[in-house]
Amino acid sequence: MNTMGCSEFLDQLDVWMEGEAHPDARAHMRSCPGCRTVVEDLNAISQAATTLAMEETEEPPERVWVALRSQLEREGLIHEPRRVAGSRLARWLEEISAGVPRPALAGAYLAILIAVGFGLCRPIDSRTNAENWAFSTQSSTTPLSAQLNNAEISAVSMAGSSKSLIAASLHKNLDIVDNYISLCEKSVREDPENEVARDYLYEAYQQKADLLAQMSDRGVDGR
Amino acid sequence: MNTQHSLSPHFTWKRAGVLIPGLLLFSAGPIRAQRTEKHFKVEERPVITVHNPNGTITVKAWTKSEVMVTASHATGQVEVDAEQTGNRVDIMTRQLADAGPEDFRADYEIRVPQDAELQIHDDSGAVTVANVLGDMNVETVAAGVDLEDAAGYLTVKTVGGSFQCLRCAGRLEVSSISGNFRFVDIRSYNLRAQTSTGNILFSGEFLPNGMYRMKNYSGVIEVRFSPGDSFDLSATSLKGKVNNEAKLTPPAHQERLLSRFGNSLFGTFNSGRAKVELSSFDGTINILKRD
Repeated sequence: MNTMGCSEFLDQLDVWMEGEAHPDARAHMRSCPGCRTVVEDLNAISQAATTLAMEETEEPPERVWVALRSQLEREGLIHEPRRVAGSRLARWLEEISAGVPRPALAGAYLAILIAVGFGLCRPIDSRTNAENWAFSTQSSTTPLSAQLNNAEISAVSMAGSSKSLIAASLHKNLDIVDNYISLCEKSVREDPENEVARDYLYEAYQQKADLLAQMSDRGVDGR
Repeated sequence: MNTQHSLSPHFTWKRAGVLIPGLLLFSAGPIRAQRTEKHFKVEERPVITVHNPNGTITVKAWTKSEVMVTASHATGQVEVDAEQTGNRVDIMTRQLADAGPEDFRADYEIRVPQDAELQIHDDSGAVTVANVLGDMNVETVAAGVDLEDAAGYLTVKTVGGSFQCLRCAGRLEVSSISGNFRFVDIRSYNLRAQTSTGNILFSGEFLPNGMYRMKNYSGVIEVRFSPGDSFDLSATSLKGKVNNEAKLTPPAHQERLLSRFGNSLFGTFNSGRAKVELSSFDGTINILKRD
């Protein structure tokens, strides 16, 4: 008799993807079309990533990784300090990324978000009490924010003291986004369950990542 | 016959070594304005790409199957490249010498067939496009973008540049950080506009089955509707106000639709054939009658 539920199966997804499936997990997958679809999608992504790895060698811009991380965290799929399905999945994704060049995963970015987002949002969305939200939001946003701050230091140092119109505009808009981020972070801290504020915050992170990438691309004089 | 000319007794090769490069540099100096005009025969639906770091780009449609590029630049430190590959014309401003950021500019006037597809990149300056019905992608940093009587799939992305669209149709996707947006007399069936701190004004027709999404962080979102419009409205400002002049029919299951956060308004105007979604974090949303 199959005793494993969807939530438990998804918790063990990383083990499944490594090919070490428990008999109960196998039984569950045979009987659950939803989980079967998730596994099939992840397999397809993995294969696509491997194929792309053989075809492409160019490194994608850093913003792809910031955006990927931001989106996965926004979907509630990765929470680093905690052992939940999302973080285990994140480690599994990291293992893929270690095995193949980054462009391969960049190519599969959208597919990952769609497949994983739809497949795993249910059990994680059920943890909707304020404490969990506060914890998961903080654990999601802290590394993202730190990563962006590092990128900012690097981009600003590359931009140097250029006084071109473009550089001025980029800096001005970076200040705007930073202000936007700090206000959103404050809102999220005050009301961790507020999904709308969280959405605005993640959008602001993505905007900052885009902007920093533009600054880095333009190099020293902002061109 | 002796073809050898005698040199001036004052001439020395040493002096020439100083004078000639000096003259050459002077001839390429910053005060010399240059104008270039090129013509390219094209077929139906040509693609025109323009890459200009700084300057104005004006694109207008005409009835000829030809692309005409007129470029002017004030310094000899930049060069205008316009080349045709198949049915594509690529126009690019290149830097020849170590020009300062303000010298690295060119102004363009481009004539294209009406069905042309445009891809324009202009960091600062201004982009104006009129009567072009093909798809369009415009990216700028500080340059403002002004479209008139455009159609097709239009995507515009700026960092701080404003955007205005007059009598545009088709599908519109516009994003910016601090740019203001104005959509006037729009006949678009799909509009998605997002700016962080800019204002958004929409004054146009909500087409049946159309989808209109406008979002900002702060600033004002103003939508002006006509009595004959028909739309389902969802307007939410997390920390700002929502002001409404439309007589809306509340949704059947309002308690489920009411947002838990911020100030929200949901309802149907006439038969609700279009869908309008307005959202702001800290800004004001105004839904007003058109004059």
